[in-house]
Amino acid sequence: MRAMLAIIRRDLMRWRRNPGRLALLLALPLVLAGVFALAFGSGGSGLSVRVLVLDEDDTPLSNLLAGALGSQEDTGPLDVEIVGDEGRAMIENGEASALVVIPEGFTDAFLAGRPAALRLLKNPSQRFLPQAVEEALRAGAVVLSQASRTLRDELDQFHEMLQADAKPDPLVIGAMSTRIAEKLETVADYVFPPVIELEVASAGDGESADDGPTMQAVLALMLPGLAVLSLLFFAQSATRDVMEERDRGLTRHLLTAPVSVGEYLLAKCVAVVIVSALGFGLLIALGVLAGIDWGPPVAVLALLLAAATAASGLLLLLVSLTGSEMSANALTTIVVMVSAMVGGSFVPLPVLPAFLLPVSRLTVNYWATHGFLTLIRDGGGLADVTTEIAVLSTAGLAMLALGAWRLARRIRRGDV
Amino acid sequence: MLTVQGLTRCFGQVRAVDGISFEVRDGEIFGLLGPNGAGKTTTISMISGVLAPDAGQVLVDGVDIWERPKQVKRMLGVVPQEVAVYEDLTGRDNLVFWASLYGLKGADRRRAIDEALERVGLADRADDRVRDYSGGMKRRLNLSMGLIHAPKFLLLDEPTVGIDPQARLAILDVVREVARGGTTVLYTTHYMDEAEKLCDRMAIIDRGEILASGTLDELTRLAGEGDVLRVSGSFGAEDLRGKIAGIDGVEISRIGDGFALLSVVPEGPGLAQLLPRLLDGEAGIDDVSIQRSNLESVFIALTGRALRD
Ligand SMILES: Nc1ncnc2c1ncn2[C@@H]1O[C@H](COP(=O)(O)OP(=O)(O)OP(=O)(O)O)[C@@H](O)[C@H]1O
Ligand SMILES: [Mg+2]
Repeated sequence: MRAMLAIIRRDLMRWRRNPGRLALLLALPLVLAGVFALAFGSGGSGLSVRVLVLDEDDTPLSNLLAGALGSQEDTGPLDVEIVGDEGRAMIENGEASALVVIPEGFTDAFLAGRPAALRLLKNPSQRFLPQAVEEALRAGAVVLSQASRTLRDELDQFHEMLQADAKPDPLVIGAMSTRIAEKLETVADYVFPPVIELEVASAGDGESADDGPTMQAVLALMLPGLAVLSLLFFAQSATRDVMEERDRGLTRHLLTAPVSVGEYLLAKCVAVVIVSALGFGLLIALGVLAGIDWGPPVAVLALLLAAATAASGLLLLLVSLTGSEMSANALTTIVVMVSAMVGGSFVPLPVLPAFLLPVSRLTVNYWATHGFLTLIRDGGGLADVTTEIAVLSTAGLAMLALGAWRLARRIRRGDV
Repeated sequence: MLTVQGLTRCFGQVRAVDGISFEVRDGEIFGLLGPNGAGKTTTISMISGVLAPDAGQVLVDGVDIWERPKQVKRMLGVVPQEVAVYEDLTGRDNLVFWASLYGLKGADRRRAIDEALERVGLADRADDRVRDYSGGMKRRLNLSMGLIHAPKFLLLDEPTVGIDPQARLAILDVVREVARGGTTVLYTTHYMDEAEKLCDRMAIIDRGEILASGTLDELTRLAGEGDVLRVSGSFGAEDLRGKIAGIDGVEISRIGDGFALLSVVPEGPGLAQLLPRLLDGEAGIDDVSIQRSNLESVFIALTGRALRD
């Protein structure tokens, strides 16, 4: 017990010594909320995020990528523009928030499976907007890398074709597309919902048919989902420590002290839940300052704890499936982004297409967001969110137990 | 007393530690000397209760660590090979955390921390973040964590790797001082000079097995009683044999590429007869040097390989 308290105290201390990490996790959903509020709300001021795309690579694939980034017709406050070399001067003059550079050789590197980097130049005079662009790109990069891993052979072949400069053989392409389709089918369950969902997201502003909701109403609609997303980020950040500690030999060292494996893992679980709940609580407090009435405090608190438990459980379980901090990062980012997309963090649940609901109900985001919307929009009380609380806490505890059990087994086998 | 009996651990096909046994007596500094991959870290991990052995036993003052882990762990201080400290915390934060794990609190904890910091010379940097420490300072912090609860046994796993000679001497001094205070020390290293200077007794470990153990004198005697003559040049093995034929007390202990080691019985007539013959310039011998036997020659005698590669 004494050792457990020491571990929990140390974990909290690490957060206190790293206010930057805390600020970033808090700022992220707020920036997103602000962007959405401006996009869908009627009180839009002149603020916009201007992003420039400079395609130095100039290959069919990079054109495609630049086009995809710049294609959206009406993206509200997001203004993407494809530029030439003058883009660098524009960013230096502070004419845009960020410049995304697709560097020369990007396509070659990506197709050959070598590390390929997109370059991001941020406007130094702005703080939050460039950060938001960076986070979005990072998520995109994870998806691209995953694609490169899943489709290794096909990309090699494609690469050869591009380099050969000859006319592509339709037979080869045919065979290739069949194989790609087969591979995609196996991962489709995980990958396709967000892709489809993305399209729906831009069409989802059907609500603006009336005169447009007030900023406050949009915030009330968006903030719960985004706060839940932020909760997952907190849980992700906290569980990532478990892997970091393992990779750096800190766990091995800790276990030379009079601490059992069980005590260590239980302490980690508690610390992750506390960190997640505190981060989430801070966001709720900020929401209150912004004039949002979250509902009866007891119900909010119970839901908050249940959601924090579920988020911690999900992330711990995911981490227990991976072998290193790097792979933990990749897997958790993908799962968090996908569940944010289908679970109502980006597209408010009331406008989420019905066919997505069965998938949606598998996410922590859905249950937590649904609960908070019930409290905020429908004026519900504790009795109206008991299902959500029960689902979240049961699933959360189960996932925590399973994740901790897997990690314990690994440590006992000598994998520390 | 720390007793290790038949300790074994495999990783897949690799027998990292293969049935080793040794004893560390109260109050001594015992060295475990071996090259990279010999199994030193694996041994320390099993002794400190982190890695379960496939076979064998570790008894600390007669208690099996795997049977009563907490009781035994309280008696051990472990300094791992890789620096295990939180970089985003200060040195003092790290020590507070570590001391709390052993149940130290309040004034006792403060005193223990100040003493440990003083001992490793970090008192003036205690409230800086570890991230801003030099490599040597991190190593010293790592060491101080192992000392904080005044353990009866201190296990050190290559605590001087990767730091400059001066910082190395400082760490060795701390270890000596701790041992003088009555702590029993198990010290692993691949630096034979450290083992020679620091350890009362030692074991030489290679490929998971203990090849020999004893005091420095006992071990060096294993390499042969006498002097070792190192002959280098472009001679052939037959030439060399011809040169030493008929001289009593001289043997070829090893022939390598461009060199050979000869052992010569001390105080015999061998050396006086041998040197002129070797240096007459006929057989392509360029150089002859005499070495006192040391741990390096012991290791070569035991394994046929040098310790450092
Ligand atoms: N977790 C592990 N998984 C697989 N093999 C391992 C593991 N730990 C150690 N080994 C192997 O066991 C053998 C002994 O390793 P160990 O780390 O104990 O050596 P060491 O003497 O400490 O070496 P060094 O001086 O390099 O630290 C090596 O061959 C190593 O590759
Ligand atoms: Mg080692």
